[in-house]
Amino acid sequence: MAGEKLETVEIVKEKGESPNIKNLGDFWNFLKKELVPRGHIATPFNIISLPIMLLGYVFIVLRLAYGLGKPVTNLNQEYPWGLWIGFDVVTGVAFAGGAYVLCFIVYVLRAEKYHPIIRATVLNGFLAYLFYAGAIVLDIGRWWNIYNPMIGNNFGVNAVMFLVAWHFFLYMLAALVEFSPTIAEWLGMKRLRKILGAMTLGAVIFGITLSTLHQSGLGALMMMAKSKIHPLWYTDFIPILYFVSSIFAGLSLVIFEGSISHKVFGHQLDEAHHKHYDDILVGLARICAVTMFGYLFLKAILLVHEHAVPYLNSAMGFWYLFEVIGFILIPCLMFISGAQQKNTATIKFAAILTMVGIILNRLNYTFIVYNWYVPLSEKYWPAPMELIITASIILTEVWVFRWMVNRMPVLRKPPAWAIEKH
Amino acid sequence: MNRKLIFFLVSIAYLILISYGLYSVYTVEATLRVKEPPKIKPENKIAIARTEIFGKLERPQVIFNHGKHEEAYKTEGCTACHPEKDGQVIFDFPMNLKKRDKTSVMNAYHDACIECHKKSAKKEKTGPVNCGDCHKEQERDLIVKHPKAEFDFYVHDKHVKKLKEKLGKDDCGLCHHSYDIEEEDEALRLVYEPGTEESCYYCHDLEKKRGPELKAIQNAAAQKGLSMRRASHQQCLNCHLKYQDEYLKKGDKEAVPTDCSKCHTGKYKTVAELEKVPRPDRDQKDKPFINIENSKMKGVTFDHKTHETYSRTCRSCHHETLNACNTCHSLTGKPEGNGINIAAAYHHAFSEHSCAGCHNKKKEDKKCAGCHHLIPAMDLETMNPKKETCAICHTGKKDQLPMPKPLSTAGLNQQKVKKEVEIKILEKEFEPSKFPHMDIINELVKISNDSKMATYFHRNLQTLCEGCHHRSAAEAEAQKDTPPNCKNCHMTAYDRQNLNKTTLLSAYHRQCLGCHEKMELEKGRKCTECHKAKPGDSQKIITMRNEKVVKQNTSIIINEWRPE
Amino acid sequence: MDRRNFLKILGSGVAGAATGNLLTPGRTLAKETPSAKEFYGILVDTTRCIGCRRCELGCAEVNGLPVPDISESKNENLLKTIRKTSDTQYTIINRYETEKGKIFVPKRCMHCNQPGCVAACLVKAMRKRPSGQVTWDLNCIGCRLCMISCPFDIPKFEYNKAIPRIQKCNLCYDRYNNGVLPACVEVCPTQALMFGSRKQILEEGKRRIAANPDKYIEHIYGEYEVGGTSHLYLSSVPFEQIGFRKDLGTVAYPKYSTGFLYAVPFIFVLWPIVMLGINRATKKSKEDEEHHEEKEKH
Repeated sequence: MAGEKLETVEIVKEKGESPNIKNLGDFWNFLKKELVPRGHIATPFNIISLPIMLLGYVFIVLRLAYGLGKPVTNLNQEYPWGLWIGFDVVTGVAFAGGAYVLCFIVYVLRAEKYHPIIRATVLNGFLAYLFYAGAIVLDIGRWWNIYNPMIGNNFGVNAVMFLVAWHFFLYMLAALVEFSPTIAEWLGMKRLRKILGAMTLGAVIFGITLSTLHQSGLGALMMMAKSKIHPLWYTDFIPILYFVSSIFAGLSLVIFEGSISHKVFGHQLDEAHHKHYDDILVGLARICAVTMFGYLFLKAILLVHEHAVPYLNSAMGFWYLFEVIGFILIPCLMFISGAQQKNTATIKFAAILTMVGIILNRLNYTFIVYNWYVPLSEKYWPAPMELIITASIILTEVWVFRWMVNRMPVLRKPPAWAIEKH
Repeated sequence: MNRKLIFFLVSIAYLILISYGLYSVYTVEATLRVKEPPKIKPENKIAIARTEIFGKLERPQVIFNHGKHEEAYKTEGCTACHPEKDGQVIFDFPMNLKKRDKTSVMNAYHDACIECHKKSAKKEKTGPVNCGDCHKEQERDLIVKHPKAEFDFYVHDKHVKKLKEKLGKDDCGLCHHSYDIEEEDEALRLVYEPGTEESCYYCHDLEKKRGPELKAIQNAAAQKGLSMRRASHQQCLNCHLKYQDEYLKKGDKEAVPTDCSKCHTGKYKTVAELEKVPRPDRDQKDKPFINIENSKMKGVTFDHKTHETYSRTCRSCHHETLNACNTCHSLTGKPEGNGINIAAAYHHAFSEHSCAGCHNKKKEDKKCAGCHHLIPAMDLETMNPKKETCAICHTGKKDQLPMPKPLSTAGLNQQKVKKEVEIKILEKEFEPSKFPHMDIINELVKISNDSKMATYFHRNLQTLCEGCHHRSAAEAEAQKDTPPNCKNCHMTAYDRQNLNKTTLLSAYHRQCLGCHEKMELEKGRKCTECHKAKPGDSQKIITMRNEKVVKQNTSIIINEWRPE
Repeated sequence: MDRRNFLKILGSGVAGAATGNLLTPGRTLAKETPSAKEFYGILVDTTRCIGCRRCELGCAEVNGLPVPDISESKNENLLKTIRKTSDTQYTIINRYETEKGKIFVPKRCMHCNQPGCVAACLVKAMRKRPSGQVTWDLNCIGCRLCMISCPFDIPKFEYNKAIPRIQKCNLCYDRYNNGVLPACVEVCPTQALMFGSRKQILEEGKRRIAANPDKYIEHIYGEYEVGGTSHLYLSSVPFEQIGFRKDLGTVAYPKYSTGFLYAVPFIFVLWPIVMLGINRATKKSKEDEEHHEEKEKH
């Protein structure tokens, strides 16, 4: 962390200076300059993360050369989807849900209070889609056909997956547009900044609509696994559950990620922001608590509606109740109490619990309670290489995030010329 | 600091719960297997649950050791616990049960058991008085089931002889009675008339649906609570109690048992074991001539005497009434016989009480089933049955035909009837299969001659041929004396017009294997016994079968099916 | 692939069927072209199967899969375990010990009338052919949602290949187009498998049950299960005893996701309108905004 601090000294120096890019050559020179690492390289984080990332890249090559199965992943014929889809894609997208929720609050409802964190959240959402959803390329077996749903010759327009694929793609574009003013500011392109700024609202509304559909669409993917998912989890309303849970999942990640970046990049923020920040957290906690309560209510109704109550008295019932009580009800209460006492520590802890709960929930659908009746010998659990590749993808995302935050006006105030337009 | 500690502890708790939960979810398959409730030998124990009154039990059932209590109350006798009426012990418990609702039944049990235990506790070691000592949790799902007691011909005969010895004359009325529902005086309703004995089940089987007349009697039995179970306990045990002491004095403990397990043995005598036992005499004819008035068919002389030894009870043919068939079944059917006419009563293919039904059952025996599983059962629905077949029973003569001579292969034309047949249908893959034609004929003749029924019904050797050479037209065969070959009907290739038609390959396999399977033969069940592998590439079975059909390579072809 | 090639295959199928030179599957096919509107399938009579595994052999030969060893000694050991179809076996035979003795059950793709795998496929690599076969094509992207959506766990993925495929029985679609019976049907020595249009085999199944009421149980597996399948099964014991699921219901699997799909256009149109409306409604007047900004500056 000391390294980051040193780094910022430089940045503060540079603050306010916008590069003057007139042609492609200038851009290249600027980019080259920016790509050079700043500050200390040998920070503990770098030392730990770099080997993992490199190992991950090697394993990715292995996966491409030898196929998906052992030893890279533990996927088998019983469990076609494992950690990569369950965690990277499905959970990653749920966590990226913070972006559309905050956009809705800030741009549609115009709650300006949350404006200071919008850029970081959108960037985070965009990168999450780019990397985690991008991990799908690794997971799909015939990845060289990935363009088929977009420009292929055979559109399975009635497939949920088709919808999800298109929405992923379009949402990435929308998120890029939402974030692009920041890039324009970084590059000092004033005209472009103006055009992109005008496009924001459209992109935001488009993005929220897409998010609504594909967050629930990820749930709808599991609808045809009716005979395989335990009846406590399978309901006709999985898409709605997925959508509602993506709201508090995304916000929890915003709280969690925000509190880390506040420590790491805190110096980029001015005093006013720091003062506001607790207030923002309390507000987010309230939203979380309300949506979680709604989610809980929905779960209770569905439990009765699907005649699943008798299953509660079993091992699966314990796991279900643990998920609902331990990861929804308790964090919900903690959010409420944290918001009332304005205690950010409680809120942060609740956010972590919620995130663990969401991970478990999504993994439940992909492999834990999926095919729950098969014997232990055929069960799936992540292979070491799978875990390392996942870790390396996350770490890469963190590196990119750090690079962008350090260079672009994500957390810090935009350059003076941009503020006027706002 | 304190808060951090709490968060830390909570996290640890969550970690433990997650690992426990994951473990139980991953191993859930093991718990899915259904556990069978444990069974114990009933011996002289009784499971008291009375679920008909209590429904779902609050506490576990009580496994009551009846034998132990018998031992303890040797001097007092049964009346210590069971009520007595008109000099007969009624095997009810508890004694003074007034109402049959949950609380009163529960209280009655508790009063009867606990009071007695308390009372005798002063004098000697006695039973428990605490809840959990009778209602044992580990015995909750225990199943104590006494197998049905069977009063078979052997036991019946023993009773008849012993009682005659004792009383000096036959008195079937000791057990057999009928209920005269017309009689005004309740006490006189139970009457006995020799020659009208029936099975106890006739009136006391309260679960069976009966006609209106019998229903009234059945209701009377039900009102007194005389189900088959209670009626037989009352009838048998009271008599046994009466004579028990006498035999005990003689030191013969086994003669008149009162222990549960002595009657409820769970062992039942087979027909063969009962063959030598004389059947009850109810003035039945040995060989009645069954001739139905106005019927189109000739009469049948039925060897009743011999058939008696083929069944374990009279009920198996006569239902429970022990009447002659035509009492209830007439040419057009009567309500007493559920409208079943006499033709169906004798010929119903699947009934347990009809001649044809029982004979069909016998044909399911493994020795017979090899051929007979493919031969449709003869019944009323059989159109144009062979006259000779009917004539075997319907002789129209009062004397039964003599037993036909056993079949013999001696007269067979060795040229026409091949000793061994080579089947070459799969010769591209395997060496020809050798079919021991003559050996099989000999074996079938032996089986037929060994069975009395088969000897009686298989009148000539041709009948046996039809077991395999089925659907042959007897008239046509008679002229040429050669049953049809398999190939004559079954084609080597699939019939384009009818894909369901049995191909030759399938006909061979299903005929041979079907017979071997039904006859439970060890031999001839494995592929290699008939098919000896031929050297060479025998794995390309499709290419081998039809050279014209191009071998397909799906991967190439699928590549070519790009979207239309 | 070009259109011409496909038509050639199609044409030869028609020609073969019409001239009757080749072994043609059934009367109906002889009259009609392969693009018949009727689904074709197989009636599997488990009481007839003797467990010789020749169908596995024929299937492997025709589909270019590893050839299994079906010798007697091998079978005895192999059949002790209940197997599943795999990426190298489109069809397998299982042995079940039941109250009626050993029962052999051939298992393969059921070729549902409305297959979940087809509905799940985003590039239409899985397709239900007009003649009933569910086939897989090379434009697949390998997402494996078909495996998740299949109630019978049939599509299998080649996990250990760099260029993997989804492997499953295609009811010998190519052979069908050439007017030949599926390999398994052709080699079955006991005619436990009967190929025909779904109507034909359903009728035949019902006829067999009616003719032997004590031999078969009165249920044709696949008649109504998951909306009907092109593979139908007859059995002498309840189907759960020979490894069939009875809890799949009679609703066609694609129906489970239609609810969501119906909602999509509504959300897609209404949601932006609503949001735009809210956005306009919450817009503050100019004075408010100035006031607000001043406040912010403080």
